[in-house]
Amino acid sequence: MIKLQNITKVYRTKTIETTALNNINLHVPKGEFLSIMGPSGCGKSTLLNIIGLLDEPSGGDILVDGFAIKKYASRATAKFRNEKLGFIFQSFHLIPDLNVIDNVELPLLYRNISGKERRALAAEALESVGLANRKSHFPSQLSGGQKQRVAIARAIVGKPNIILADEPTGNLDSVMGDEVMDILTRLNKDNETTIVMVTHDERMANKTHRLIRLYDGSQVA
Amino acid sequence: MITHILKLIWNKKGSNALMMLEIFLSFLVLFFVLAYVFFNLEKTSAPLGFATVDRWQVRVDDLSELDSISLLNTIQNLESNLLAMDEIEALSFAGEIGPFSGSMWSSGNDENGFNFNTLIVPADHTLDEALDMKMVEGRWFEEADANATFDPIIITKAFMDEYYPGKSMVDSTFIFNGTRKIIGVTEAYKYRGEFADVRPTLFVFKKPVENASSIVLKMKPGTPTSFEEKLSTVVNATTKKTGNIIENLEKERIADSRESWMIFIALLSVCGFLCINVALGLFGVLWYNINKRKAEIGLRQALGADGIDITKQFILEVMFVTVIALLIGVFFAIQVPLLKLTEYPNEMFYKAMLYASLIILTLVFICALFPSFQAAKITPANSLHED
Repeated sequence: MIKLQNITKVYRTKTIETTALNNINLHVPKGEFLSIMGPSGCGKSTLLNIIGLLDEPSGGDILVDGFAIKKYASRATAKFRNEKLGFIFQSFHLIPDLNVIDNVELPLLYRNISGKERRALAAEALESVGLANRKSHFPSQLSGGQKQRVAIARAIVGKPNIILADEPTGNLDSVMGDEVMDILTRLNKDNETTIVMVTHDERMANKTHRLIRLYDGSQVA
Repeated sequence: MITHILKLIWNKKGSNALMMLEIFLSFLVLFFVLAYVFFNLEKTSAPLGFATVDRWQVRVDDLSELDSISLLNTIQNLESNLLAMDEIEALSFAGEIGPFSGSMWSSGNDENGFNFNTLIVPADHTLDEALDMKMVEGRWFEEADANATFDPIIITKAFMDEYYPGKSMVDSTFIFNGTRKIIGVTEAYKYRGEFADVRPTLFVFKKPVENASSIVLKMKPGTPTSFEEKLSTVVNATTKKTGNIIENLEKERIADSRESWMIFIALLSVCGFLCINVALGLFGVLWYNINKRKAEIGLRQALGADGIDITKQFILEVMFVTVIALLIGVFFAIQVPLLKLTEYPNEMFYKAMLYASLIILTLVFICALFPSFQAAKITPANSLHED
């Protein structure tokens, strides 16, 4: 499902060169729930961005769900992200000027889907995260846990094969964190969705199939 | 996507309101200025009706103290002395209401079965030659008209179009201070200047001696300004007066129009500055909005938007806001022609509305283009991380 070979990422300025990822090799089979841990600044989010085709590696090969990327800022890459990948972020990234259902609909806007169908799919996604009664609320009217559930609904509304979650429980208390984790686990089990999750929380990581650890840009476990 | 953008605009109506107000007010200012400019430019497109190049005018000093015989002699001498000069090809005694004189005589009555109001110009039998006036129909005055059964009158095309549309009135009688006969129709006679309204005008016949307060001269092409001195000497010697004034009609025409052009330039400059300010303001607002919405841009890219989608979204957002503001503006602006609040023709207002809208739409589109392209270049990894 996801294959990374000798992935490196180097940030260069005029005076300094920082290696964010160093020769990462990773294979994530279909249906796996993988967690990535490591201290701050070790390259976890960079790795997730590279898997999500949001960032370009400095070297190495990447194959995601059979898609070999040629150009990052291309229509094909955008289409692939839209159809195959779902993203969940620590800070939710909900658009404050749109209500819950409009936020969930967002990925479908970039597909040729009628407004009615978009509405139905978004309602279904909200139902699956238990927020059917919050459709018309705006993000400012929701708790942190509810916001993250809206973000999960947005990630799954397009029925992606892969979900990439960047510290999805990082901004939540343990109860809400558990709720979110339960939803992700259910998605992985029921739909065989491949999930790659970056986390700082050992307890959450232990709920996944496999854990890899990064340290200073290198995979150490 | 359109519904989505309209929702975004509606949900951000507070922050969009100021931009809408700015566009709405700019539209109104542009609309009124353009209507004024179009209306006045339309006037200049109507022919003046007489030549000004190589035409001079002598404003003759007051001869009222002369008795009728002395006056007649003076005028005859003046005519022959002037025509004796090689530089003068033709002349006409144009009276008080000569080109660009600033004097005006208007009158009207309802004795012809309808109400009319017209400008009246006393003219002699050579004014058409001296000023190269074009006859649309009929003929100009002749010396013999002084003894005609009915006093002859000549009307302008504007007179005919106003009171006798589609009809030929030459040889018809017309009641104005007695029964008169229309003998011809001239193309136009905007003697009050290029920016004067095109009004119905009627010429009444006057003998030179009755119309002697000014003389229009048709000069030989290329007559130098230095000839004024010689001309002045002859006129002063003949009239035995020193208060005669010589004017160049082409210079008078330019001077007369200058004030109107200055107003246009001032108004259009104000509009130009307004547009620049609006453009800078919009550019700043859009730039700020895009910077503020970097995370949203990154998010949309992560969710499947490509560069074109992002550019399109930001351009459409600002264009929709503009269209809404313009629709409000048009609603108010259209009341002016609908309620006939001014004497300007309605077409001017519709034209001004169209041009003001097009100018603003173009301006906004150009201002939106660069920030929107920049928005499309934002990399999702960085923008999502920044938030």
